[in-house]
Amino acid sequence: MSDLTIVLRSLRARLFSTTVVVLLVAVSAGLLLAILSLRSAGERAFERGTGNAHLLVSRDGSPLVSVLNGLFYANSPKAPIDRAKLTELRESFPWAMFVPTAIGDSYRSFPVVATAPEFFSKFEPVLGEPWQFADGRAFDKNFEVVLGSAVARETGLRMGAKLVLTHGSGKSREGAGAGAGDEADEHSHVHKEYEFTVVGILKPTGSPHDRALFSDLESSWMLHAHDRFERLGQEKLVTAADLVDDDRKVTGVLLRLPSREGSNTPPALVSQYDKLRRDGSITVAIPSNEVQRLFSIVKSIDVLFLAMAGATLLSSGVAILLSMVNSMSERRRQVAILRVLGASQARIFWLVLTESTIVGLVGATVGIAVCATVLFAATAWLLNAHGIVIAPELDARSAVLVAMGTTLLAAIAGIVPSVLAYRTSVARNLRPIG
Amino acid sequence: MSSPSSHALEITRLHFRYQGRGPNDPGFELQLPSLTLARGEEMLLIGRSGCGKSTLLQLIAGLVDPNSGTVHVGGQDIHALKGAARDRFRGRTVGMVFQTFNLLQGFSAMENVLVALLMSDVPKAQWADRAQSLLRSLGIERLDARAEELSVGQQQRVAVARALACRPTLVLADEPTASLDPENAVNAVRVLRDACREQGAALLVVSHDPSLEAHFARKERLDELMKRRAAHDSTREGASA
Repeated sequence: MSDLTIVLRSLRARLFSTTVVVLLVAVSAGLLLAILSLRSAGERAFERGTGNAHLLVSRDGSPLVSVLNGLFYANSPKAPIDRAKLTELRESFPWAMFVPTAIGDSYRSFPVVATAPEFFSKFEPVLGEPWQFADGRAFDKNFEVVLGSAVARETGLRMGAKLVLTHGSGKSREGAGAGAGDEADEHSHVHKEYEFTVVGILKPTGSPHDRALFSDLESSWMLHAHDRFERLGQEKLVTAADLVDDDRKVTGVLLRLPSREGSNTPPALVSQYDKLRRDGSITVAIPSNEVQRLFSIVKSIDVLFLAMAGATLLSSGVAILLSMVNSMSERRRQVAILRVLGASQARIFWLVLTESTIVGLVGATVGIAVCATVLFAATAWLLNAHGIVIAPELDARSAVLVAMGTTLLAAIAGIVPSVLAYRTSVARNLRPIG
Repeated sequence: MSSPSSHALEITRLHFRYQGRGPNDPGFELQLPSLTLARGEEMLLIGRSGCGKSTLLQLIAGLVDPNSGTVHVGGQDIHALKGAARDRFRGRTVGMVFQTFNLLQGFSAMENVLVALLMSDVPKAQWADRAQSLLRSLGIERLDARAEELSVGQQQRVAVARALACRPTLVLADEPTASLDPENAVNAVRVLRDACREQGAALLVVSHDPSLEAHFARKERLDELMKRRAAHDSTREGASA
C-alpha cells in the first residue's frame, strides 16, 4: 500500500471516464507527435529527392522552379539549353559529374527523362544511395527505356515491353497497336513511329525519380527532329545522322563538384555557384538550398497544423479538468475518509494532483506508442503499396517533449480539482451527521 | 503538549455553536461541561437525532474546532495541534467507525485496513501481518474482496479492523448499528467491544438506539450531560446574585 495505490484505485473506481480521458489525451499527444514526425519526414523526403547533385543548371524562371521541374518533375521546363551553352558549361570546370537531362516527353502522364548514361553511373537519386536495378540494366543504345519503380508498378510494364512516348505531358499509348480511343491531349502528340523497349526496372528510391522513365538523349532528340521534318513537310524516320546542333538541346544539367572522400560540401561550390549565377542566360540552383527555401515558405501552414494539434492537446487538458471536477461529488467522501484516517490536506492535494498527472503521463505514453505503431505501419504500407519512402521517424526528442508537455498540462489541469479536494469539508462529507 | 494521562478522553467546558444555513437547517449549540473516558473504558452516549452526537465525535477527532473548551485525547489537546500534525495525531490515536462504515470503494478489505496503516507511524514491515491478523480475528477471510462485494456485517467488521489498525487510544463509533437489523446490531456491538478490549482501546459509542444500553456498563444521555451544564450555570448565577 502506498499513495500511488490510492491514486490507482481512485482511477480504477472511475474506469470509464478515466479510459475516455486517457484516450483523448493519447489521441491529442499522438496527433501532435505525428505532425512533428511527418513534418520532418516530409522535409527529409524532399531532401532525398535532391540526390547528390551540388548544382542544377537550367533556363527556368527561378532556382526553385528549376529544382521543382528538374528534379521533382513538377512541370516540363519551357526554355532549353542549346548545344553551345552545354559545351561551354562542360568545359568551364573539371566537374565530378556532368549529367544533362531533357524533360518534356511523357508516358501515361509519367515524365520521361532523356539523359546521358552517367545518370545511372554518377548521379545518385538519394545521396549515398546509388541506383539499383530490380531487373535489367541501364539503356545503352537508342530507344531503350528504364522504368522507375512506381511506373513499373502502376503501368504493369515488364522487361521487353514496347511503348511509345508522347511529346508533351499528355497520355501516350502502350505499343503501336493500342486502342484508338486512348488519344493524347490537344497540346501533345504521340510518336508512334518510335517504339521504345523496356530494358531495366529500377528499385524504389523513395524519391520522385520512382515516377519517371529514363531514356537516352539521342532518342529524344530524334523524336523532336521528326517534328522538325514534319513541319517542313518531310515524312521520314529520323536517325542520329539527321540530327543537327539545334536538335541537341537539353533542359537541365546536374552538376557535382569534386569533394573530399566522405564530404558533400566541396570547397569550390560557392565560387562556382557565384560564377554561374553571373551568367544571365542560365538559372543555377543549389537543390538542397531550394528545398529548404520551399519549406521555409510553407512553414506558416506548418505552424497552423502545430497550433491545431496544440489546441487539441489543450482541450484534452480541459477534459481532464472537467472529468476530475465532475467526479468531485464521489471523491469528496473518499477525501473525508482519508482525512479521518490521518491524511493531511497537503497529502490530499498531492494525491489528486498525482492522479491527473498520471492520466496525462499514461495518455502521452499510449499516444506515443500508438503514433509509433501507426507511423511504422503507414511507412511499410506506403513503401509496399506505393513505393513512397516517407520514413517518418519518431524523433526521441520530440517524443520526450510531447510526453513532458502533456504530463505538465495534465498536472496543471489537476490543480483546480486538487484545490477543491484540499478544501473539502471532512465533517460535511461524512454524512450522516447528528 | 502531550502528557501521560490515565484518560483516553477528557473534555472540559466544550462549547460549539453551529449557525445553520437556513430555515431548514436552524443549527444547534453543543455545551458539554466535562466528560472523561479512562483508557480501555467503554461508554455509550445516547441522544436523539440531530442533537449533535456526531458533531461531538468530530470535535473529539479534531475534525471540527470548538468555539471554546478543550478536548484531550491520550493527554494531548487535539485542538492545540494544527494542520498536518493534528491529522497525523488523529490517524495514530483515534479510530472511527461510522454508521455507513465509510469504507473506501474499489479498495479490498485488506487495502482498507492498509490505508489506515499508511497514515500511521507503524513500520511498513508490520502492515501486512497487522492487517491480516486483525481482519482474520474479526472473521474476515476474503481479504482481497472489494468493500462493495462484502456483506453489511463484513463491511462493519472491516470498518472496525480499520479503526483499530493503528492501535488507537480511543475508538469513536457513530451510530454503528443504525444500518443493521436488531440481531446483527447486537453482534456488531459485541464485535466492536471485543475488538477494542483486545486492542486496549477506549470506546465511545454514540447512538440514538436505547436498546444498546443493555450492552454497556457506562451510559450517558447527551441531553442530560448538557442539562448538567445548564444547572451548573444557573447555580453559579444564583450564588453570585
